[in-house]
Amino acid sequence: MKIKTILLPLLLTLICSTAYAQTSSEAEQAIQSADKLWAATITAGHEWNTIKPLVAQAKQALKTNDFSAAITLANRASEQSVLALIQAEHEKTNWVNNLPK
Amino acid sequence: MKSLFNILVVSLLLALSSAYATPEQDKETFQNFYTEMFPDISLEGFGDGVYALDQDARDQWEAMNDFPPYEEDLEEGEELFNTPFSNGKTYANCFENDGKNIRQNYPLFDTKQNKVITLELAINNCRESNGEELLRYKKGEIAKLSAYMTYTSKDSLINVKTPDSKEALAAYEAGKQYYYSKRGQLNFSCANCHTQNAGRRARSETLSPALGHPTHFPVYRMKWAGFGTLQRRIDSCNKQVRAQPLSGQSEDYRNLEYFLTYMSNGLPINGPASRK
Repeated sequence: MKIKTILLPLLLTLICSTAYAQTSSEAEQAIQSADKLWAATITAGHEWNTIKPLVAQAKQALKTNDFSAAITLANRASEQSVLALIQAEHEKTNWVNNLPK
Repeated sequence: MKSLFNILVVSLLLALSSAYATPEQDKETFQNFYTEMFPDISLEGFGDGVYALDQDARDQWEAMNDFPPYEEDLEEGEELFNTPFSNGKTYANCFENDGKNIRQNYPLFDTKQNKVITLELAINNCRESNGEELLRYKKGEIAKLSAYMTYTSKDSLINVKTPDSKEALAAYEAGKQYYYSKRGQLNFSCANCHTQNAGRRARSETLSPALGHPTHFPVYRMKWAGFGTLQRRIDSCNKQVRAQPLSGQSEDYRNLEYFLTYMSNGLPINGPASRK
């Protein structure tokens, strides 16, 4: 009985800390990836002004240990960066469609 | 099926011929596009922007111009222009014709630096060569100085030289591509509003034609309660389509200004002007 009362809290602590570490590193990874994609949109000359605030908010959420919000925001920033990069690629050839006819 | 193929080929050829047209051909097509779209407006009338299209707005604008809101800022610009640097020289020493009546020649392509030089960049180059601190771009003192220099150029016809070197042509083409490329989360190009939809409304605002845009900058905008340069106005457009504005005098902005101003060659300078 005594062993149970000692082991159970220990086990719970271990599970929680593992989950915390995982989520924390996942959030960091998501932000890193968002940062990289955001930088790529700047290089491509097609940065959207919606991306920077999302990355900033994700970093803020990470600081306050709100990992799930950090991941959501970073992923949203990444999605928008991918779309901006698609736009940049598309406009390399399609800008001519806007010429006056 | 065969006729559809023919239409596609002709469309493709037309698009390609416009994409690879000379600057002079571009200018002709550009100006013709607007003069055909708005046959009642004279070429120089396009310098009034949206007030050439909307009589109600024009009446209000003309009434406001009885006492132009920019007068104090313009006077400050003149004072700044005439104030000597710490070495005793002035802006007049940096520019041809003592810096007066020269706005119509900018932007120009500097073959030594191989880049487009706008009037605001030239102002800061002048300061730098005289050991003065650089001014912040887009608004404030630089816009006031530029507004005064524009004022001294009133009625002179825009005369941006035709790009005549490989590098100048590349800068012009880059500016042209920027103007026609969609950007921002809303996926709009400058041309979507100011070419294809000029004269139509976006919410309560009439979209101004791009022809004539560069004639009246810096503009005193009520929203800004001060002067802003053309690049500041382009910032606003970029924000509206949710694209990140670029820094003042970035290569892309300079090239865009080069292209846009070349398109308005032949129109008289009528700035500085006031806008809503």
